[in-house]
Amino acid sequence: MKTKLLLTAVAASVAGALYAADVPPVGSAAPEFSTPDANGKTQSLSQYKGKYVVLEWFNPDCPFVKKHYGGGNMQKLQEDYTGKGVVWLTIDSNAPGTEGNLTADQAQKVMNSWKTKMTALLIDPESKVAKLYGAKNTPHMVVINPEGKIVYEGAIDSKASPNPADIPSSTNYVKSALDESLAGKPVSNAQTKPYGCSVKYKSS
Amino acid sequence: MTSWLRLSIALGAVVLAHSGLGQNYQGRELVKATLLADTSAVGPGKPFTAGLLLRMAPGWHTYWKFSGDAGLPTEIKWNLPPGWKAGEIQWPIPLKTNDPGDIQTYGYQDEILLMQEITPPAKIDISPVKLSAEANWLVCEKICIPGSAKLELELPTAASAEAAAAAGSAKADPKNTDLFARYRRLLPQNFPDSKMATATWSRSNSELRLKIVNENLANYPTVDFYPVPQGNTVVGHPSLESRKSNEIVFRIPIESPDKNLSAMPGLVVFSKSPNGNDRAAWQLGTTAIAAAQTAQPSRGIVTFLFFGFIGGFILNLMPCVLPVISLKIFGFIQQAGQSRQKIFRSGLAFTAGIFAWFLALALVLIALKAGGRDVTWGGFQFTNAYFVLGLSVIVLVFALNLFGVFEISLPQSMTRGLLASSERKDNLGSFFQGVFATVLATPCTAPFLGTALGFAFTQSPLVILSMFVAVAAGMSAPYLLLSAQPAWLRFLPQPGAWMVHVKQFMGFLLLATLLFLLYVLGAQRGLDGAIWASCFLLIVAIACWMKGAFILPATSVTKRTLVVVFMLLLLLLSGVYFIGDKFRVSKIDVAVSGAPGDWQPFTPERLQGARDQGRAVFVDFTAAWCLTCKYNEKSVLESAAIREAFQRHGVVKLKADWTNGDPVITKLLQQFGRPGVPLYVLYPGKSEEPIVFPELLTQRILLDKLETITPAVVSQ
Repeated sequence: MKTKLLLTAVAASVAGALYAADVPPVGSAAPEFSTPDANGKTQSLSQYKGKYVVLEWFNPDCPFVKKHYGGGNMQKLQEDYTGKGVVWLTIDSNAPGTEGNLTADQAQKVMNSWKTKMTALLIDPESKVAKLYGAKNTPHMVVINPEGKIVYEGAIDSKASPNPADIPSSTNYVKSALDESLAGKPVSNAQTKPYGCSVKYKSS
Repeated sequence: MTSWLRLSIALGAVVLAHSGLGQNYQGRELVKATLLADTSAVGPGKPFTAGLLLRMAPGWHTYWKFSGDAGLPTEIKWNLPPGWKAGEIQWPIPLKTNDPGDIQTYGYQDEILLMQEITPPAKIDISPVKLSAEANWLVCEKICIPGSAKLELELPTAASAEAAAAAGSAKADPKNTDLFARYRRLLPQNFPDSKMATATWSRSNSELRLKIVNENLANYPTVDFYPVPQGNTVVGHPSLESRKSNEIVFRIPIESPDKNLSAMPGLVVFSKSPNGNDRAAWQLGTTAIAAAQTAQPSRGIVTFLFFGFIGGFILNLMPCVLPVISLKIFGFIQQAGQSRQKIFRSGLAFTAGIFAWFLALALVLIALKAGGRDVTWGGFQFTNAYFVLGLSVIVLVFALNLFGVFEISLPQSMTRGLLASSERKDNLGSFFQGVFATVLATPCTAPFLGTALGFAFTQSPLVILSMFVAVAAGMSAPYLLLSAQPAWLRFLPQPGAWMVHVKQFMGFLLLATLLFLLYVLGAQRGLDGAIWASCFLLIVAIACWMKGAFILPATSVTKRTLVVVFMLLLLLLSGVYFIGDKFRVSKIDVAVSGAPGDWQPFTPERLQGARDQGRAVFVDFTAAWCLTCKYNEKSVLESAAIREAFQRHGVVKLKADWTNGDPVITKLLQQFGRPGVPLYVLYPGKSEEPIVFPELLTQRILLDKLETITPAVVSQ
């Protein structure tokens, strides 16, 4: 009886264990991916080995994403850090037929009209990259160091709201993670709770 | 395309109106917000309840105070006249929703009333009083739209509290009374006192466990835990770990590195069916948590310390310690002729060596744990190729010593400092033998020790320290006993020339251990790595020989210095060349070193994939340096009977190779509460729960369990 209970206990914990194992923790190696971008070029993580890489989960219809693009906050971050040699990969992982899903054409239009400055906008309609990183939100941010290790994951900033007026008074976690990393310092806020819309996975 | 931007600006605009306000989207009203009170008149100093009523379009929902993986809690900002106070939002028990991609959220559908207690000041000057509030919410269906409204509540004031009470009972809107009563019933209750129910928290690495004990639990088919993480804590999905008639255990994974977090506020939710309208909940706040924390640690600690002691004792019987044991027994034989005191002192020194190593290890582990690193037993040492290399050097040096290539003699100064007594020298030797024996013992996770240490690593530094002391005590007990009771040594044979032969033979046992270590290095760094390490070992051997051949008691200081300098130079140069350069860059190509035979390398995706197809899966968590693993694989997993049984049941065989300390596997091991390999898990089918096997596998146990699973359709 006792053994059986113990087994059940251990067994029940496995499902959870698997989910947890799906999400690479901060400090672990960033999973490799390869997916086309809006220009049809294949983008993979390994091609940027030796550089800092920012991953940004994206949905042009999500109010939380619009919060950061509407006033140019995200574009400025992209411009500033790509200028410092950081690779900025924005990823649209929304499934076809859901809000925010983009074809390559649509993605290019968004990039032009929003004047985005990311290195590339990746099209991931099967949510493969999102699954690898356990991304559940837009925006969900990940910072990867030149050794390919995750040094930050979580929210874009400290104020969980869709209101652009909150941006000036927020701490931007991605900016501080990059500034600290580039200065050779450890990231002080290495993991935060991301906020935003959900990534629209395909219903199974 | 700028329409996106325009839309966002339009949506961000705040709508203002008097009582009820609608949030419209593409011509549809998504949310209607209203501010209400449970009284028709307010009296001075008399608290009443105000509520924000949100009516949502069918299929749309707003969020609870912890929204889950997505969404945002509704906010209410009151703009009250001076002296008025608003309490915290009283959140009714939410519904739990699962969306594709394992996205779990907590919120409300159709309608919700968020109540707050409003306390007027002792004197109210104006009537009617206007109370205004700004509400912000996020409403989602498949897409999410933020909404916002500035709302007002106008209430007449009564001259006195009594008049207000009279007015409240006589004239209150009956609709409001019902509404407030309905949502008050949905509020969580305080956690009952300890006679009725207990909540106990424990923490192991990256997860919290919450145990609720209550007699009435059996009446509720659905019991769940809704967490309310504080600050920057990132929480995973709580899951049910075990359930008995009056006891339930939840696992709550913590995904952020909150080292000191030991509990989390939240709701224990009961209902007949998931999200049932009959749902009730207990609120776990900080007080229940504080009580639980003090109740927890005393339980079980003595048991685990006892396991630690037994485990330590068993370490003496593990194959990887046996060579050292022989050394020690040999020592006892040698001492048999000496005085009782001398023997006892030597036994004490050996014990001290064991303790010193375990304490040092405990301190290192505590330091690493404090530094937030994952620490696991054998793996912490044996997944590190340099540790294995260092151990190889020690083993080789000891072997050469046993062969008589050189004698261990302490430096003159030190010997003088130690009163130049040969007895002291013996004790020091015994001390290092103790250290050495324990170094070799660590990779042998004896079953008891595994449990005890798995427990210890989740505990405070003090508990870790006491656990290691217990293990050290267990391991040294037999030696101490033997040296204190030398009468038993009487049965041992007399010393003689045969001892030299035994000593030399022991050297070969150590060489056998060295072969095993080289095998581990080969598994970690490939053939090249093993060869470069061997080259360095050869130089070490030459250095030892130089020591034995040229540094004799009569050797002059100049010659002595010359030889030592030459030895060190040789070691340094070869170390830099073979280890710092060649060995460092040698590594094994993981893709090439795939799992042998019909075993596939483990990945979480592969496991999930096979389970999704309804196949049974067996996972072998193993490592090249794990002798128990190799033994189990040879004698059980690769035996004809088991191979045939696996095949008959269509079991997918996955090998999780932990030789180099793969972090994904480390995490999974931890979640099974195991500090290291071996670990054997059988997942019977898609929905059934996995079976964990003991560390010492037998064909019988495995076959029994295999027979219980339904054979998969082999021809699919």
